[in-house]
Amino acid sequence: MASSGEDRRAWVPLGSLPEFADVTPLPQDDGPSPVVAIAYRDEFRETMDYFRSLYSSRELSPRSLLITTLAISFNPANYTVWQFRRQVLEALDADLTDELDFTERVAKGNAKNYQLWHHRRWVAEKLGSDAAYRELEFTRKIFYLDAKNYHAWSHRQWVLQALGGWENELDYCVQLLEEDVLNNSAWNQRYFVVTKSPLLGGLKAVRDSEVDYAIEAINMNPQNESPWRYLRGLYNDENDAWLNDSRVPSACLRVLKAKRNFKFALSTLLDLLCLGFKPNQEIRDAITSLRTPDSGEVGSDSDLAKSICSILGHEDPMRANYWTWRSSKLPQAAEV
Amino acid sequence: MEGDRDRGLLYDSDPPSPPLSPPPPLSLTFFDRERHVTFLEMMYHMLPYHYQSQEINHLTLAYFVISGLDILDALDRISIQNGSHLASTYCALAILKIVGYNLSNMDSESILTSMRSLQQPDGSFMPIHIGAERDLRFLYCAAAICFMLNNWNGMDREKAKEYILNCQSYDGGFGLTPGSESHGGATYCAIASLRLMGFIGDDCLSNASAPSSKANIQSLLDWSLQRQVADGGIQGRPNKPSDTCYAFWIGATMGTLGANKFIDEKALRSFLLTCQSECGGFGKFPQELPDLYHSYYGLAAFSILGEAGLKPLCLELGVTEAAATGL
Repeated sequence: MASSGEDRRAWVPLGSLPEFADVTPLPQDDGPSPVVAIAYRDEFRETMDYFRSLYSSRELSPRSLLITTLAISFNPANYTVWQFRRQVLEALDADLTDELDFTERVAKGNAKNYQLWHHRRWVAEKLGSDAAYRELEFTRKIFYLDAKNYHAWSHRQWVLQALGGWENELDYCVQLLEEDVLNNSAWNQRYFVVTKSPLLGGLKAVRDSEVDYAIEAINMNPQNESPWRYLRGLYNDENDAWLNDSRVPSACLRVLKAKRNFKFALSTLLDLLCLGFKPNQEIRDAITSLRTPDSGEVGSDSDLAKSICSILGHEDPMRANYWTWRSSKLPQAAEV
Repeated sequence: MEGDRDRGLLYDSDPPSPPLSPPPPLSLTFFDRERHVTFLEMMYHMLPYHYQSQEINHLTLAYFVISGLDILDALDRISIQNGSHLASTYCALAILKIVGYNLSNMDSESILTSMRSLQQPDGSFMPIHIGAERDLRFLYCAAAICFMLNNWNGMDREKAKEYILNCQSYDGGFGLTPGSESHGGATYCAIASLRLMGFIGDDCLSNASAPSSKANIQSLLDWSLQRQVADGGIQGRPNKPSDTCYAFWIGATMGTLGANKFIDEKALRSFLLTCQSECGGFGKFPQELPDLYHSYYGLAAFSILGEAGLKPLCLELGVTEAAATGL
């Protein structure tokens, strides 16, 4: 009965069905001069007229459940319908595992619908930690079709924190990144796992191996922004440790020497320099060799930083004004 | 499911494309104001049936049309005659401001009292009392409502700020909830809210590298600016395609921080022109049919870019400056 525009089955008017015989449909009241009036299809209009009637009389019955199923099929974004459905489900003490099936069907055409995901969360919460596995599987299925679905990632994070199931999460991130190392959602999830999983011992415990993992990804695709941000994120609020991890400038150097896709390597070195990093001669030489005619000398560290900004103005021209501004903001050598 | 596409945030889901074959692409090299006015005028009177699945955001659709026409300085083309959800309340108040209604004539107390009860212990907001998701979008709506009513009794600003800061991701952008991936729309909600609540001043950029209990502005700036990609357009998240609406979400964020000149405006304008539709309005990607959501944010982006004939925006409020100041 649900119409997606493709469905060619004839609509059976609700008014002709015996189960709705005693219901008086309630039309929508848009006032005397409606604006942005929508040209509703008749099936939709009739369904909502019956919904309004059952909703206003607060009837929590099987036919009310049916009317919400129909209404959702036409408009899965109507939160009043979903809320009423929850009230009906509670009143009927319905089997919520059936409801999981229902949401999966709705998700097929509406994987990015807020109400659907809220409803799914409500069901999962009621089912408790037994539902964890199924929720992780459900989001996995969604990711198979769209590995960056924002709603599904939020849901998955909520499931892990509320219902558990952390055991395989890091492995899952590894798998997703193997499939697509550019998947920023997977990088974000990896950060979530290493910082929040009760099974890994906290960020500090795994930071070492995570730095290696990020650098490996950088080596393969230095133009991939995600592992650069991830690497920096591993040291958020810990500038001393960031400055003292020699693997970071080494990784930058490796990229600079290849002389291509080096904008993130440069901006990372710039960040280090601004925090007081003392670069070795090899790094200075590598930057010197990338200099453009207007880059100037690289004598002092502050000159080096200015030089980097200048090179970035050419390497990352879309942000030329930004790199000029960054240059103007550098701590001056003479400043106290 | 549509492969690798990003859904807008303040819009529940894109309307499905109507079953027409698109007209042959028209390459417009200029911003065609009249086409956009006509498009919005049509929408004002009647929305095509496929918007029926957006029904609950009726007020939001009205806001897109009315504020869009206001940006185009074409409100005179329509005659405006005169439930509680935070997003609807925001849109309703915005519309009232646009048409020049004096909000101090309103009974704000009931709105604000009701709103206060929507704020959660962690500072976030639910949009409705009967239960729904909660995230930065509704916190933004609450801040904008308080700002427009000039009355902060509707929310605990300190708690709200705390929640916002918890939404800043390791890479400098903001996610919709703590732990979520940083996202252009969420980032706008975060920064616009902080600005509305008075936590961000005009001197933000000059203090960007100063350590503070506020957001990490330097990494936010760097993250946001890298969202502009090779085709000149702006993406919502790293390694995703550019999309018209982020020209507003990220553009307005940069503007709020005083950093809009760091965006390559020429390149962005070129990209947006490829998303401009022959029917008027904008689609999400080049050559896509237009929808109201992307049309509105495309217009708003052109306003930020200083397009001649468009009224300037109050970036953090999402209405023209004229509407915001009531002049």
